[in-house]
Amino acid sequence: MNLLQSLIDACSLGAVYALAALGIGLTFSIMRLINFAHGELIMIGGYTLYMSASQPYLVMGLAALLVVTILALGMERVAFRPLRRASPATLLIASFAVSFLLQHVAMMIFGARPVAIDFLSPLSQSLEIGPLRVPWLQLLALGVTLMLLAALSSFFRWTAIGVQMRAAAEDFTMARLVGIPANRVIAAAFAISGTLASIVSVYMVAQTGGASYKMGVNMVLFAFVASVIGGMGSLAGAALGGFLVGVVSVLLQTYLPEGMRLYRDAFLFALFIAFLLWRPQGLLVKASDRERV
Amino acid sequence: MAEPWAIERERKIRSCLLLAALIVLAAVLAALGPPALQRTVTEAIINLVVVLGMFIFVGNSGVLSFGHIAFMAVAGYSSAIMTIPPAKKAVLLKLPPSLEALQLPVGAAALIAAALTGLFALVVGAPIMRLKGIALPMATFGVLMVVHVVTANWQEVTGGRQALVGLPVYVNLWVALGAVLVTLAVAAAYKGSRRGLLLQCARENEVAATASGIDPARERLLAFVISAVFVGLGGVLFAHFIGTVTANTFYLNITFTTLAMLVVGGMRSLTGAVVGVAVVSTVSEIFRTIEKGVSIGDLTLSAPPGLQEIALALMMLLILIFRPQGLVGDFELDWPKWGRRKSAPAEPATTDQRVHGS
Amino acid sequence: MLKVSDLHVRYGNVAALRGVSVEVQAGEIVAVIGPNGAGKSTLLLTIAGVVRPTRGSVLLEEGSTLGLAPERLVTRGLSLVPEGRHIFASMTVAENIRLGGTGRQDKAAIAQDQDRVLTMFPILRQRYQQKAGQLSGGEQQMLAIGRAIMARPRLLLIDEPSLGLAPLIVNQVYDAVMALRQGGVTVLVVEQNVHRALAVADRTYVMNSGSVTMAGRSAELKTAEGFHEAYFGFRGAKGAVA
Repeated sequence: MNLLQSLIDACSLGAVYALAALGIGLTFSIMRLINFAHGELIMIGGYTLYMSASQPYLVMGLAALLVVTILALGMERVAFRPLRRASPATLLIASFAVSFLLQHVAMMIFGARPVAIDFLSPLSQSLEIGPLRVPWLQLLALGVTLMLLAALSSFFRWTAIGVQMRAAAEDFTMARLVGIPANRVIAAAFAISGTLASIVSVYMVAQTGGASYKMGVNMVLFAFVASVIGGMGSLAGAALGGFLVGVVSVLLQTYLPEGMRLYRDAFLFALFIAFLLWRPQGLLVKASDRERV
Repeated sequence: MAEPWAIERERKIRSCLLLAALIVLAAVLAALGPPALQRTVTEAIINLVVVLGMFIFVGNSGVLSFGHIAFMAVAGYSSAIMTIPPAKKAVLLKLPPSLEALQLPVGAAALIAAALTGLFALVVGAPIMRLKGIALPMATFGVLMVVHVVTANWQEVTGGRQALVGLPVYVNLWVALGAVLVTLAVAAAYKGSRRGLLLQCARENEVAATASGIDPARERLLAFVISAVFVGLGGVLFAHFIGTVTANTFYLNITFTTLAMLVVGGMRSLTGAVVGVAVVSTVSEIFRTIEKGVSIGDLTLSAPPGLQEIALALMMLLILIFRPQGLVGDFELDWPKWGRRKSAPAEPATTDQRVHGS
Repeated sequence: MLKVSDLHVRYGNVAALRGVSVEVQAGEIVAVIGPNGAGKSTLLLTIAGVVRPTRGSVLLEEGSTLGLAPERLVTRGLSLVPEGRHIFASMTVAENIRLGGTGRQDKAAIAQDQDRVLTMFPILRQRYQQKAGQLSGGEQQMLAIGRAIMARPRLLLIDEPSLGLAPLIVNQVYDAVMALRQGGVTVLVVEQNVHRALAVADRTYVMNSGSVTMAGRSAELKTAEGFHEAYFGFRGAKGAVA
């Protein structure tokens, strides 16, 4: 029973990591940009919820969605469009700078201490099935993630812009040569990425009851690990990676000896390094997809 | 007529000496100023040790490393454990008796800490240097995270979330100056050495380098270890400059700052590293002063905390957008070319002439 | 239709094009030949807007193309089939072809064109739902051309269509190119195979080391004085051109 309870925890945690990883994977696959600042999109979602705390929950959630998506588009326009032709390393450092910038702006405005937010508090109650207790929030996270995965999947298969995004992710220059508008595709990637980030922020605030300027940092680190494990550039990989990281994290928490549990994250990152040595391209990407001379 | 390589080597030595002279000049000027200025310059020089250390790896290999601050942590904590008086250690930590009783002279502790860090880098680096593309930076990032989690949680050895206090503060302007001159010399020597050149070949074109018999992984590992030793040294200096260390001392903030210094100046040259540290330190200091409050007559202007970091981040972004190669690019400092004829690059012979003539 | 004047392109410190001028009249097939590294691909990439020149002008139907994004040039009637095909391997043949029509709104005409492409290259109809990456080299080339045709270009640029393909397949490809010209499409083709190029093109340019070294009607070029030198850049044994 312990195992089953752990697995449910793992799946819902994995669901959130999957959403975060998808957000990162999207912008990477099209622009080769590893967006460190994705964590700050989550953070801003959190603070938007804080600012709108007097409103009904639905309004709060929608506000977060709107603000973060718009901010993501702004981020692309201001910080990343000028760097479009830059090397991946430059893009990475730039996103690091944007992340640092946004964190400190938030710290300046809201202070360094976490703020408390009452959000979706009824959902912290649990559904009881026999000996299992499953918090409603976790069920919701899992359910919403699965729905979103299905929706995104259809989006990329059946809509014109979705197909264009897939083409751009595979071969950006060729996509432009068949007439796919670069700006539109990149903007779409950032917009969806922002929406996903807002959903992650909604979950995090509901789970922790607050927001802080650092709340995106850890999430984005795990999201990276998840994307890399699944295979950067593969959306299914991001989702898979997210679930795997969630599962391993919970398993470590459950089965590590008492004294070692503090170092759970160290184990996680060490396993990540080991994984990189075994399969650096990720699980769902073929080894042959390497740069040809 | 001198051989081209001899001229080149002369130029490199001149460049290194000029940089050294500039740094010494800065230190001397600071020594004449108020203690606050001395502190600022000392901190800048310590940062320069770290950045030069990073440059040894990042500049020569072209590979971004996020994990270097882990070496600062390893060395900083090692030196702390070896130099904090045993009485204090007994209170703060729970070390095995041999370590608790250990107290070494600071110089020895610094050297041992740096050496240990090099060893750590060897062990950790050996398996990961084969990774290609984005995987290697990500792996170094994983190293940073592992070290951070361990230092933040290993109560018995590092004090965990609490600050480790009681480190002997022996680092002043002159100690830092000595360290940076040594680091500069090693960085310059490596950059101009044969091994350094092999690594730079791998940086420019890995396939061609491999085809020429170079083992990129091995060259990178060498640079990684040397780099770790000096970044570690920077960590030791920092720890003994401030007198306390916590897990957060050597984590994301300083990763960002040092990376910014490297990028702003230019990742490809030593001059870039020096310029980067100088510019970033100056800008940071200006904004730090503004944050504290500047009094103009009866008014006191001050800014909320965080302005310094915001200014730094904005500066970095602007540089990346408008001058991605950094302020200095490839350039290495030299005497201005007065009265020396510039040799024009040879124009490749166009085939047109040969085709149409007969 | 296309007028390239004094084009200069640099990749870092290396000059790839040194003052290239090329003209293509409407309805022509023009070929550009030359050894490796001559700058032929760079020329097409610059015309298509992927590479920015440091000097010179490119006029497409009297309008300048410089500074325009590649996707804008597609709506202006230009389409490039790059070297190496660059089909979207993870997507189906159907999706590849449909993507060629990006930016067009006329649904009925798009469907018509799709049918034309599939008729021109029956093998594509056979493999319609397969992933493009599973096609053979020749089939991929046909897919790439078919995809480019879907944009209803007025000027079609093709880079090295015969590279790596068996002669029979190359025949098919060039039959398609001739059929396109019948349909009113102007073609500028870069070709390694000198015979092919001279056989199919009305006029041919010879490039070497970033410059145009010779130009003229294809029929006259091969026997022209100095042809070997123009191609190779030096005086060598006659008959060296395969």
